[in-house]
Amino acid sequence: MMLWLATTLLVLLALASCGLATWRIIQGPTHADRVVALDIMLAAAVGLCVAASIYTARTVFLDVAIGLALVGFVATVGWARVVDKGADQQGADQ
Amino acid sequence: MMLDALVSVFLLAGGVLLLIAAWGVVALPDALSRQHAATKAGTFALAMVCIGAMLFALDWAWSWRILLILGFLLATLPVASHLLARAAVRESNLVPDASQVRLIGDDPAQASKPGSRT
Repeated sequence: MMLWLATTLLVLLALASCGLATWRIIQGPTHADRVVALDIMLAAAVGLCVAASIYTARTVFLDVAIGLALVGFVATVGWARVVDKGADQQGADQ
Repeated sequence: MMLDALVSVFLLAGGVLLLIAAWGVVALPDALSRQHAATKAGTFALAMVCIGAMLFALDWAWSWRILLILGFLLATLPVASHLLARAAVRESNLVPDASQVRLIGDDPAQASKPGSRT
């Protein structure tokens, strides 16, 4: 019962941080801020996967979390490179 | 029962830290400090949640997967946060000068004027 309550609270907190990250993605103001907010969303997604595996007592959701962590790293590095190159381009234009 | 309590504490600590990280991303004044809040606190929060799940199962089928997630996060997040910080500095033309760094509550218009901080 206590474990169920803690897991539910973890899910709610992760969803709340997803909401805050969404606000930052909409608000901006720079692209780097949006990529950082995506990073928070990724962390929340991994947390939700772990919570799902605790609810169901199955390991399949942990496999999903591994995949998310892998894809999220590549996505973050890729976006950071894009933002970096974009800044370079802007500097060359001015 | 004791173990359940320990697992609950770890899971809740992870959730609260995740919320603090997200709040930092919303509240802090520039991209560099937001990146700092997100990557450090986010990693710690995920480590707490993963340790909680490991204590919940006490089983190798869970443990090696969780250790894989944790090891992967600890190996890659420094790289990701470095690249994010670099992108943030270059995009917003932040001056890497500690005396110019803005704090929560500072007026951005005033902070850009010279001599406004003593």
